[in-house]
Amino acid sequence: MNTRILPRHAVLVALATLALVMLLPFALVLLNAFKTPAEYSTNGPLALPEGISLDGLRAFWDRVDFGGKLLNSLLISTAVAVLAVVVSVCNAYALGIGRVRGRTWILAFFLIANTLPQEAMIYPWYTMAKEAGLYDSRLGVIIICAVLQCAFGTYLMSSVLGQFPREIIEAAHLDGAGRWRTLTRVILPMSRSTLTVMFVFFFIWTWNEFLIPLILLISEDNQTVPVALGRLQGERMMDATMSSASALLGILPALVFFVLFQRTLTRGVTVGAIK
Amino acid sequence: MAVLTRARPAAQHRTASRPHRARGYWLFLLPGLVLFTVVVIVPFLMNVGYSFTRWPGVGDPEWIGLENYRRLLKDEVFWSSFRHNAALVIAMAVIPAILGLVLSALMFDLVARHFGGRTVTVLRAAYYLPQLLPIAVAGVVWGWMLHPQFGALNSVLDAVGLGSLGQDWLGDPDFALATVMAVMVWFQLGYPIVIFMAGLERVDPALHEAAAIDGATWLQRFRHITIPQLRPEIFVVLLTCTIAALKVFGPIYVLTRGGPGNATTVPSYFSFQNFFEKASVGYGSAVATTLAVIILVIAALFLRIQDRSS
Amino acid sequence: MKKLRVAAALAAAALAATACGGGSGDGAETLTIWHYEDPEGGIGRAWTEAINEFRRTHPDVTVRFEEKSFEQMQKTAPMVLNSDGAPDVMEYNKGNATTGLLAKQGLLTDLTGEVTRRGWDKLLAPSLQTTARYDAKGVMGGDKWYGVPNYAEYVMVYYNKDLFEKHGVKVPTTLEEFTAGLDTFTKAGVTPIAMAGNEYPAQHLFYEFVLNRAQRPWVDNYHRYTGKVDFNGPELGGAARTFADWVAKGYLAKDSAGIKAEAMGTAWMAGKYPIVISGTWWYERFTSEVKNFEWGTFLFPGNRLHPGSAGNHWVVPTRSDNKDLAQEFIALTMSKRIQNRIANEGAVAVAADPNAVTNPKYKELANTYQRLVAQDGLAFYPDWPVPGYYDTLLAGTQTLLNRSKSPQQFLGDISKPYQDNLADLGN
Repeated sequence: MNTRILPRHAVLVALATLALVMLLPFALVLLNAFKTPAEYSTNGPLALPEGISLDGLRAFWDRVDFGGKLLNSLLISTAVAVLAVVVSVCNAYALGIGRVRGRTWILAFFLIANTLPQEAMIYPWYTMAKEAGLYDSRLGVIIICAVLQCAFGTYLMSSVLGQFPREIIEAAHLDGAGRWRTLTRVILPMSRSTLTVMFVFFFIWTWNEFLIPLILLISEDNQTVPVALGRLQGERMMDATMSSASALLGILPALVFFVLFQRTLTRGVTVGAIK
Repeated sequence: MAVLTRARPAAQHRTASRPHRARGYWLFLLPGLVLFTVVVIVPFLMNVGYSFTRWPGVGDPEWIGLENYRRLLKDEVFWSSFRHNAALVIAMAVIPAILGLVLSALMFDLVARHFGGRTVTVLRAAYYLPQLLPIAVAGVVWGWMLHPQFGALNSVLDAVGLGSLGQDWLGDPDFALATVMAVMVWFQLGYPIVIFMAGLERVDPALHEAAAIDGATWLQRFRHITIPQLRPEIFVVLLTCTIAALKVFGPIYVLTRGGPGNATTVPSYFSFQNFFEKASVGYGSAVATTLAVIILVIAALFLRIQDRSS
Repeated sequence: MKKLRVAAALAAAALAATACGGGSGDGAETLTIWHYEDPEGGIGRAWTEAINEFRRTHPDVTVRFEEKSFEQMQKTAPMVLNSDGAPDVMEYNKGNATTGLLAKQGLLTDLTGEVTRRGWDKLLAPSLQTTARYDAKGVMGGDKWYGVPNYAEYVMVYYNKDLFEKHGVKVPTTLEEFTAGLDTFTKAGVTPIAMAGNEYPAQHLFYEFVLNRAQRPWVDNYHRYTGKVDFNGPELGGAARTFADWVAKGYLAKDSAGIKAEAMGTAWMAGKYPIVISGTWWYERFTSEVKNFEWGTFLFPGNRLHPGSAGNHWVVPTRSDNKDLAQEFIALTMSKRIQNRIANEGAVAVAADPNAVTNPKYKELANTYQRLVAQDGLAFYPDWPVPGYYDTLLAGTQTLLNRSKSPQQFLGDISKPYQDNLADLGN
């Protein structure tokens, strides 16, 4: 027994050490978020703060109307995550379970969205959004981001569904379940953890999306958090303490979201165990 | 495993004998295909169209045929910068996938069982956190870490008596690429871990239990159960990360701006520069189209291999 | 799906709101102002005062101000100005690829009449006018005014007085005295100059070396393609060799090829280096944040010309509904009151009265600037003549800093894009 406990603890220590190394840069963000600019300039970024100054946080919040930006980001990210999961599941159902002809090519077709550099699409999107009356509208950004994200979702989901046990589907069909029913009653409940992963990724990727909202949401009222963070970077100067403070504010909502949904991830275990 | 090997002939049988049933699935593809055509394909074709023109982004484009492509073919810096992508594929796809696989399995098998799900939750969140940091801020923070005189890394090395290992991490052409690679591993690792851990929850626990009863060691179970079961996820991670590595731009830009010299320049930098700094949208479109076609060919090859193997 | 519907409804509502806000349907006039200066910075504070003043003097006008980011304007200005979302007056980047391009495409209002009527051409020194005026091809230095700059900037030497005193180094008046002082520091084991190779500082220093040998006609040749530029000539060739020489002698901070400007500035502010050579954009920050030592400035010794120019400027989009109000606002920012405010906030105002500046440090800055303008001493920045040249020079000076290339190789690297661009212009 002793020989087995030792490596078990050694593994935990190794994993925890790695986690600490991963978090080191965040410690620096935290350290500098609470400094005054003068303190930062005199003592450098690695020194401990002399006291906790909330000036950077407060100044940034007021300067960019952070509450409004938070709401915009939340709205856009949630809408994109929902829409993209729905479309991905539909696509993947046809490709992974339905195994429609030419699925490899269809998948490659969807993956074009991932291969194109975003800047190449910016001018066409701008032109099309203007034509459709969706320039400087959150709806336009939601549609574009959702479609881009579900390229990944379609691929992940159809790879996973491609390995879905066939006899379960056969059984459902024999019970008289139609395609829609099989999808919602059999396949989706069993793919819960993959669905959650997609939802979390889509939310967070959209949350951090920079170029698309930067270009397509020009007015103050529609802007998102990362675009607001961008204001701290001037042509030649940047405000390091305020950037740290703002980074903290920018990460927190996404982190809370991630941690919340982690619990759903683990709940997937029990669902999987039922089968 | 047994489940899957039995499933395969059944599937072939079904599609072969009852093709009319497969046709109904096309309905599910319809919304996706329409949205894709509008949001991705049409813009892509427009971009290809721009690539045959000289166009600053406003006004009327001037048709110049293949001139942009001719110019691109001769651009040595563009083509030679592709070899940095090879390094980045290793840093962003291969290493995170392998490391992520081992870490996920360890967390799932050992930590979750013996130290509780909460510990796993904390660890996974820690590994994933780098993906949340805005890339501009990450650039600044890594600057603090890697500063040759006052950075955290060299200070730590000094403190433990390994000062001689200290380097000019981002300024020395011999180290810059390796440093960028290390930062990219840091940045990328959380993504495969989250995907793999979700995949592990799909695996039937009975498989592991049976193997454990047979006296299989953890390593044996990792090789013969975990890896084969996670196959779809491994493919997904490798392909999406490879694509990301081939078109990576933001992190390189904030860390080194392609320098020192051109030691870390990547091809997508050329399209960025032409779109936003030089206002030559036509040439930028040609760069983007070429890049997209190259990545697409690689992705298609990859998908064929995946389809054959499943 | 419910959330989605809510999202769509919200987005539609937002769209409707912006559509109404853009026009002046309700009769009252609206002036929309955009800029990207830090509202807590010197220029930002002065402009806030201008906006408030404008509100006071125009009670019937609704003034809508939005702070943008530099990056957003750099990337999206052509798209915004070509849409209904264009503001009435905005700060925009100077240069051929920005203001020049949009002027050429007819997206910016020609302000020439207004500029002469209000006498701004008299207020702005000739070298400041270069970036405000463009020709029909969108090349700066032309005959028509499209921008009105409020502030200027130039590069100089900031020095730590305490460290100079400690090592017995005097403020130099010639390059020889300067290098002698640098030698004193290196002999004492002190690296004299903080440097950053991963952003603009290295190329600004390189350009100081060029201007040490160059005269105005050379600057015109280099920037306006009026004559041939020899990359192996005494100006560029000599500068490359001097740069390599300074690296070899240890004048420049070791291992600085990968350093960003921010790290350079903070290292100097922490008292780790006696000297930093950079622009006036640091001035206000140094004044407010350096607490542990006395500091001063001097112009790069032996140079008549220095890197510097007008700052980014106000432009009036063609699609502006209220060009008159926009011009009135610009006039307000050019007034003595706002100009003096800019100077009093530690930035370089284009038309301030140095006697109206109270802070002694800021007064010194204003006086130096007056001297510089009087001798026509602003010679722009080295990356201007070629689109994307900033990155070429950045990569080039990095190879000099980490000594991976010789001055000769460096000159070859930076010469090619310049010649290619000349060939392009010929078409």
